[in-house]
Amino acid sequence: MTPLGRARSWDSAPVALLRLDGSGAILDANDTFRGWLGDDLSSRDVRGIRLSALLSVGGRIYWETHLAPLLRIEGRVEEIAVELRAGGTPRPVLLSAELHTVEDETDPDDVVVNVALFDARERSRFERELVAARAEAERSAASLRTLLVTTTALARAAGVEGVCAALVHAVVEVYRAGSASVWLVDDVGALTLRARLGDGVPERPSAELVSQAAGAVDADGTERVEQVVVAPDGHVVVPLRGSAALHGVLVIVPRAHPGDDALDHGALVATGQQGGVALDRAVLHEQSVSVAHELQRAMLTERLPQLDHARISTDYRPAERSLQVGGDWYDAFWVDDTTLALTVGDVVGHGLRSATAMGQLRTAVRSCAEGGVGPAGVLGRVDRFVRRSGVGFGSTLVYGELDVPTARFTYACAGHLPPLVTRPGGDAELLWEGRRMPLGVGVAEPEPGAVDLAPGDTLWLYTDGLVERRDRSLHRGLEVFAQAAAGTPGTAGDGELVSSLLGGDLNEFDDACVLRVEWDGPAPA
Amino acid sequence: MVFAHGFGCDQSMWRFVAPAFEASHRVVLFDHVGAGGSDPAAYDPGRHSSLAGYADDVVELLDELDLGPVVFVGHSVSATIGLLAAARRPELFDRLVLVGPSPRYIDDDGYRGGFAAHEIDELLETMDANYLGWSASVAPVIMGNPDRPQLGEELTSSFCRMDPTIARRFARTTFLSDNRADLAGIRTPSLVVQCRDDFIAPVEVGRYIHENLADSEFALIDAVGHCPNLSAPDVLIGVMREYLDP
Repeated sequence: MTPLGRARSWDSAPVALLRLDGSGAILDANDTFRGWLGDDLSSRDVRGIRLSALLSVGGRIYWETHLAPLLRIEGRVEEIAVELRAGGTPRPVLLSAELHTVEDETDPDDVVVNVALFDARERSRFERELVAARAEAERSAASLRTLLVTTTALARAAGVEGVCAALVHAVVEVYRAGSASVWLVDDVGALTLRARLGDGVPERPSAELVSQAAGAVDADGTERVEQVVVAPDGHVVVPLRGSAALHGVLVIVPRAHPGDDALDHGALVATGQQGGVALDRAVLHEQSVSVAHELQRAMLTERLPQLDHARISTDYRPAERSLQVGGDWYDAFWVDDTTLALTVGDVVGHGLRSATAMGQLRTAVRSCAEGGVGPAGVLGRVDRFVRRSGVGFGSTLVYGELDVPTARFTYACAGHLPPLVTRPGGDAELLWEGRRMPLGVGVAEPEPGAVDLAPGDTLWLYTDGLVERRDRSLHRGLEVFAQAAAGTPGTAGDGELVSSLLGGDLNEFDDACVLRVEWDGPAPA
Repeated sequence: MVFAHGFGCDQSMWRFVAPAFEASHRVVLFDHVGAGGSDPAAYDPGRHSSLAGYADDVVELLDELDLGPVVFVGHSVSATIGLLAAARRPELFDRLVLVGPSPRYIDDDGYRGGFAAHEIDELLETMDANYLGWSASVAPVIMGNPDRPQLGEELTSSFCRMDPTIARRFARTTFLSDNRADLAGIRTPSLVVQCRDDFIAPVEVGRYIHENLADSEFALIDAVGHCPNLSAPDVLIGVMREYLDP
C-alpha cells in the first residue's frame, strides 16, 4: 500500500482515530472524528484540545479518575463506554487506547496515546436498557430484604409499645436513618410520641403532613392511597394504617451521609402497612392480656387465712417479655378447724384460656379437699376431675396440709417442683416425697410425704418461673433458688417475693408464683 | 510517611512517588476499604457512606500500627480524609501533603467547586455503563504493556476496579460531601499541591483550601490532569522534598 493510500485509510476509517500526548491533548485526529464533532468544530483544528474535554462531564471525571491512571499503569484501556458531547447530539462511543513511549523524540519521558473510538449509539441504547433492568432488579431485591427484616422484627413484638420500639429500631437500622419516631393517635385524637430512636427527632408532625400521608378522602369522594410524604425540612412521614383507622405515623429524619442510598419510598409504604397490621394485632393482644390479668388478679387476691403462729405471704408475676399471664396460682384455705390446705399449681399455656382453666382447677381443688382424704387422695380426686372435664390436662400441682397443733406438713406433688423448707441456720431441704405424674394422666396415688416444722422454719411452694431458665439445668436452678430462699430476709412481703428471690434476674418468658409460710408455732410433739 | 490513594484506583497510584521517600522515611501504603486488595468483609455501608468513616479507618490504622505522628500524603478525596483524621486526632499527624484536594466539588452560593449535582449523576451512569462490560470477563485479565514490561505481570484487573455498589457509594461520598467548614479547625501544617490544569480540582479550589487552612503552603506545579503522581511524579516528588526537607 502506498503511503498516500495509508493516509486515506487513516482518514476514512470506520472508527475515529486519534493520537494524544501525555496530558490527553489531541496531536492528530482522522476525518471520521472531525466529522462527528458537528459544524462548529469539524472545520476547526482540533489539535491541542484535550479529548476528555469533549466528553460528558461524567465521562471527564471518569477519564481523570480511572482511565488516565489505567493508561499510565497498565498501558491500555479497552471498550470503555463514554459519551462525546462536542457537536450536535451526544454520541455514545466505545473507547480503546494504548500508551506508548516515544523513543525517537528528544524527551525520553514523552508519551503518545493512540485512541480508537467506535460509534456505539445502537449498542449503547441496548446496554442502557440492560443496566436499567439490572438496577431495577437490584432495587427490588434490596426492598425485599428490607421488608423481610422489618417483618421479622414486627412479628417478634408483642404489645403496642413493643411494635413501636421494633419500628423505630428497624427503620434506623435498615434504612440508616438519623432518627425515627412513632406517633400514635390517642383516645382524644391527638398524636402522642410513643417511641423514638436517634437524635434530632422533629417536633410533632403537622396535621397537614399526616393527612397527606394517610391519603385523606378527596372532595369528589375518591380515596387517595396512603403515601410517604417528605416535609420541606427533609423529614419523612410514613402512615401506619390499621384495618379500621390510621394508628398514627412513623417519622424519619434521614441521615446526612452523602454516600447513603436514597430512601426507598416503596419499601417505606410497605413497612408502614406492616406496622399498621402489627398495631392492630398488638391492640387486640393487649385487650386479651388485660382481661386475663384482671381475671387472674381477681382470683388470686382473695384474702388468705391467717394463723396465730405463722405468717403466709404470696406473690405472682407475669412473664416480662410476652406480657402474657400464665396459669400459675396459689391458694390457702381451711380443710377443717385445725388443718390448713396450702397449694400451688401451674396450668399449661398462657393467656385467657389458661387463666380460666386455672380458676376452674383452683375451685376443683377446694371442693375435693376434705377432712380425712389426705393430700394424695385430694390429688387423685382432682386428677379424676381433669380427666372427666378435660380442663387443665397436663397441669402440675403441689397440695399439702398443715396440721397446726402438731406442726406436721403432709404433701403430694403431681409433676410439680418439690416444696422447700428453709431453716434459721441457712439449711434448705427439698421435699421429694409423695410424687406422681401431672394431672390428667391417672396413675396410682403415691404415699404422701411429711415434714415436721420447727419454730423459725419457712415452707415454700412455687412454680417453675422461679427456677427454670434456658441457660441452666433444672438441678442448678433448684440449687440457686434454695440458696436465695434461705437468704431472703423475712421483710420481703406480698408482691415483693418473686423479685427478691430472683434478684434482678427476672424470667422473660414465664410467669412465676410463690407461697411462703413462716412457721413460728409450737415445736412438734 | 503514609500514602493514601483517591477515588477510582488504589495504592498503585503511588508507585512512581513512594519509592523516592523510602530512604528517608518508613513508607506505608494502604488501600481504602472497598478498593484494591482490601478485605471486602471490612466494608460497612453505614460507616463508609461518609468521609468521616474513612477518616476513622485512617485513625485506626495509625493507632493499630503505632505510626503517629506521620507525614500523611493524601491524593484527591484522601486529602479531605486526611484533614478530617487530623482534626480528630491532631497528635497523630506531623504534616499533611494534600495533592489535588477539594473540600466540595459541587458549586454553591459564592463557591465554585466545578460541578453541578446532576453531573455527578452522569458520572454514576458512566460507571454503570462500564461495569456492564467488565462484569462479562470473569477471569482476571492481565494487561500487558510491551513498552514497560516491569509493570506487566503483577498487575491484575483489580486495579481501578471496584465492586459496583461500593464504587457508586464511594463516588457519591466523594463528590457530594461538603467539608469546607472542617478546614477552620485544623492546625496541622500542610502543603497544598495544585496542578496548573486540573479538571477535577481546579486551581481556584486549591487556593480556597490554602486560604482557609491555617499553616498551609501552596505549591502550583506544572502538571496537567488530576493525577500528577502518575503523570508528573518527578515534579511532585520535587515539591514534596522541598516542603518536607528544605
